[in-house]
Amino acid sequence: MEEMVMATLDLITASPHSSSSSSSSPTTDNNNNHPSSSSSSSSSLCLSSISTRRTDLSTDLRLGLSLSPSHYSTPSREQRSSFDWPPVKSTLRCTLVEKSQISLFVKVYMEGIPIGRKLNLLAHHNYHALVKALANMFRTTILCPDSHQLPLISGNNVHVLTYEDQEGDWMMVGDVPWEMFLTSVKKLKITRADRC
Amino acid sequence: MNYFPDEVIEHIFEYVGSHRDRNALSLVCRSWYRIERCTREKVFIGNCYSITPERLIQRFPSLKSLTLKGKPHFADFSLVPHGWGGFVYPWIEALAKGKVGLEELRLKRMVVSDESLELLSRAFPNFKSLVLVSCEEFTTDGLAAIAANCKRLRELDLQENEVDDHKGQWLSCFPDSCTSLVSLNFACLKGEINTGVLERLVARSPNLKSLRLNRSVPLDALQRIVARAPQLVDLGVGSLVHDPAMETFAKLMTTMNKCKSITSLSGFLEVTPRCLTAMYPILPKLTSLNLSYAAGIPGSDLIKLIRHCKKLQRLWIMDSIGDKGLGVVANTCKELQELRVFPSDNIGQHAAVTEKGLVAISMGCPKLHSLLYFCHQMTNAALITVAKNCPNFIRFRLAILDATKPDPDTNQPLDEGFGAIVQSCRRLRRLSLSGQLTDKVFLYIGMYAEQLEMLSIAFAGESDKGMLYVLNGCKKLRKLEIRDCPFGNTALLTDVGKYETMRSLWMSSCEVTVGACKVLAMKMPRLNVEIFNENEPADCEPDDVQKVEKMYLYRTLAGKRKDAPEYVWTL
Repeated sequence: MEEMVMATLDLITASPHSSSSSSSSPTTDNNNNHPSSSSSSSSSLCLSSISTRRTDLSTDLRLGLSLSPSHYSTPSREQRSSFDWPPVKSTLRCTLVEKSQISLFVKVYMEGIPIGRKLNLLAHHNYHALVKALANMFRTTILCPDSHQLPLISGNNVHVLTYEDQEGDWMMVGDVPWEMFLTSVKKLKITRADRC
Repeated sequence: MNYFPDEVIEHIFEYVGSHRDRNALSLVCRSWYRIERCTREKVFIGNCYSITPERLIQRFPSLKSLTLKGKPHFADFSLVPHGWGGFVYPWIEALAKGKVGLEELRLKRMVVSDESLELLSRAFPNFKSLVLVSCEEFTTDGLAAIAANCKRLRELDLQENEVDDHKGQWLSCFPDSCTSLVSLNFACLKGEINTGVLERLVARSPNLKSLRLNRSVPLDALQRIVARAPQLVDLGVGSLVHDPAMETFAKLMTTMNKCKSITSLSGFLEVTPRCLTAMYPILPKLTSLNLSYAAGIPGSDLIKLIRHCKKLQRLWIMDSIGDKGLGVVANTCKELQELRVFPSDNIGQHAAVTEKGLVAISMGCPKLHSLLYFCHQMTNAALITVAKNCPNFIRFRLAILDATKPDPDTNQPLDEGFGAIVQSCRRLRRLSLSGQLTDKVFLYIGMYAEQLEMLSIAFAGESDKGMLYVLNGCKKLRKLEIRDCPFGNTALLTDVGKYETMRSLWMSSCEVTVGACKVLAMKMPRLNVEIFNENEPADCEPDDVQKVEKMYLYRTLAGKRKDAPEYVWTL
C-alpha cells in the first residue's frame, strides 16, 4: 500500500499519466489489491498532503478519481491532455458542479483594470474551457495555453493567462495538468502578451 | 418493375422512408437511381466532410430536409480541440445558391455562426424546422434572426448547445403573425428571457406541442404559461424553486391537473425537491422522464416520484437514485425501453449505483433495449445475468467511474461479462466498454457482434490483436472510437480497405505512429487521415516514428478539406 502511495506521489509530481514508476507494471496489473479500495483513496491522501488549503475531502476524492485510471501505462507515454473520464458531456458536467456545494472561486484581474472578477474554476473542465470563459468575461483574446505560438502582431488586445500559486509565484497557466493546477492556483491574472 | 411507368415507381418509393432503404433502392439500376434521386426529400449526412454540398444538391434536386453531423463523437468529452471544423456556413451558402427549397435542418456537433443563422432565415421562405444539438458559436442574435424572418417556423429545438447570451430580446422577435409554432426548446440558454413575451407567444400558438424552458423561467411564470397551453405533449420545466406564495404553488398543481396530454417531462434545471409534488398529477401518464439535469434531488424523493410513473418508456436519471431506487424502477416501470443513469457529484455517498441496480432493472424491465449506465463497479456475473434477462439490447453503454476497474468480486477483467452481452444480444448495434479488459473481449465482439455499428473503447486491450479481432469480425462496423489503448501500427494497417466500409475511425493516445498514418493515407486516397498536433509549432514536421496523440480518419468523396486549422494535418 505504501508503495502504491509513493508511486502515486510520483505520478502527481510528474504528470498524472507518465509512467514514472519504472517498475514497469504490465498493462493488466491489478493495483487494486483489495477489491473494495480503488487507488482513488490513496491519491486523495497524496493530494491532501500537497494542498493544505483544500480540506474538502470530496473535492480531493473527485480529483483523485480522475487521476486513478493510470494502470495503462507504457514506458514512454506522456499524456499532456486532461483526463476526461467519465465521458459526460460538458453541459451536464457544468450543471453538476454548480449544483454541488463544491466550488473554487478565485479572483481574476485583467491588466489595466482595477476592479477584478471572480470565477468558479470547478465549473470548467479543462484549460480550454477556462480560457474561453475568461475571454468572454473580459472580452479579449487570450492565447490558449496549449498553443505556444507567439502572436506575430503585438496588439493591445492579445493576452495570456497567468496565476499565482501557493508559494506566491506568478506562473504561466497551462504547464501542469489541470487537476494539479486546481490544487495550486490562488488567483488569476490576464496580462498582455507582449509582456511575457 | 421496369415495365411500370416512372410515376408508378415514384409512387411506390413514397412508401419507402428510411435512409438506408432509399440508399438501397438507388443501387438497383440506373432508372431506379434516377427516380429515387429526383424524389428524395430527406437526406442524412453522417459526416459533413464526406461529401461537398454542391454534389449533394446536384444529386437531390427535391431536397427539403437535411441532417448534418460535424465533429467526431469524442468532441463531447473535450477530446477535439477548439476550431477543428464542422462549419455549417458553406452548406447553407451552397443550399441558398442552389435555390434548394429547404424546410428542415438538423445539425449535430457543428459550428453554427450567427451569420449562418441569418442567411438561413432569409434564404428559404418555406423553412419550418431547425434542430441544433451540441452545436456552438451562435448567439441569441442568430436566434433573433430565425424568429424574425422564418415566417413558417414550426420547430426551434436547441439541445445542449453552447450559446452566448447577448441579452437581446430574441423571443420578442417572433412577430405577432407567428402562430405556427409546434415545438420550442430553449432549455440550454443561460440568460434571462422576458416571460411576458413568452406567455403571449405561447398563447398565440395553438399547435404548440413541445415546450422546453430554461432556468430563468420561475414557478409563477411556468404556471401561467402551462395554463395557456393545455394541449402540450412535452414539457421542459425550467426552474421549480419554492415560491414563498403558497397560492402560486397550489395554482401550479391545479394547472398541471388540467394537462391531460403531457407524456414527456424534462428540465428541472433548478429545483427544490418538495416542489416536485406539483408534477404528480401528470406522472401516471408519462412515457418519457428526463431528470438528468436535476442534480440535488435526494434519492428518496426520486423514488417517491418514480412510484407514480407506471407507463414510463424512457427514463434519464441521476445515480443518486441508488441501487435501491433502481429496484423501485424495476418494479414500477414495466414498459421501460430506454434507461440512462448519469453520475452525480456525490462521490462520498453510498447511495450510488453498482451492478446490483442494473441486475434489478434487467429482471423487472424485459422491454429494455437502450442503456447508458454510469456506475461505480460492475461484475461479470451481473453482466451475464443481464445478458440472459435482456437479449434485446440495441444500445449498451457502460461507463465505470474507475475506467479500468476489474470485477470487484473476482478481480478478473470484465471480458466474460461483455462477451455474454454480445453473444446474447444479437441485435446489438452500439456498444461502449469500460472496466479492466483484455484482448479476449474483442475476440468475443468480433465473433458475436454481427450487427454492431458503433463501438467505443477506452483503456482496454493488451495488443494489436484486440483491434484486429474487431476490424475483422464486425462486418457492419461504421464508427470505431478508441482512446488510451495499446493498439498500434499493425492493427491500423493490416486491413486498410476496411476503413472505406466505415464512416470513421478515431484513435487517441494509442500506439500509432505518424509514419503508419502516412502509409495509410497513401494507400487509401479516398480517406482523409487527420492528425492533431496541438503541442508542436505549426511548421514543424513530425518524425515518422513519433506517436500520434490524436488521429481521426474518415471516408470522403470531397478530398482534403480546406478549412482545417493549423494543428490538423491531413496526410
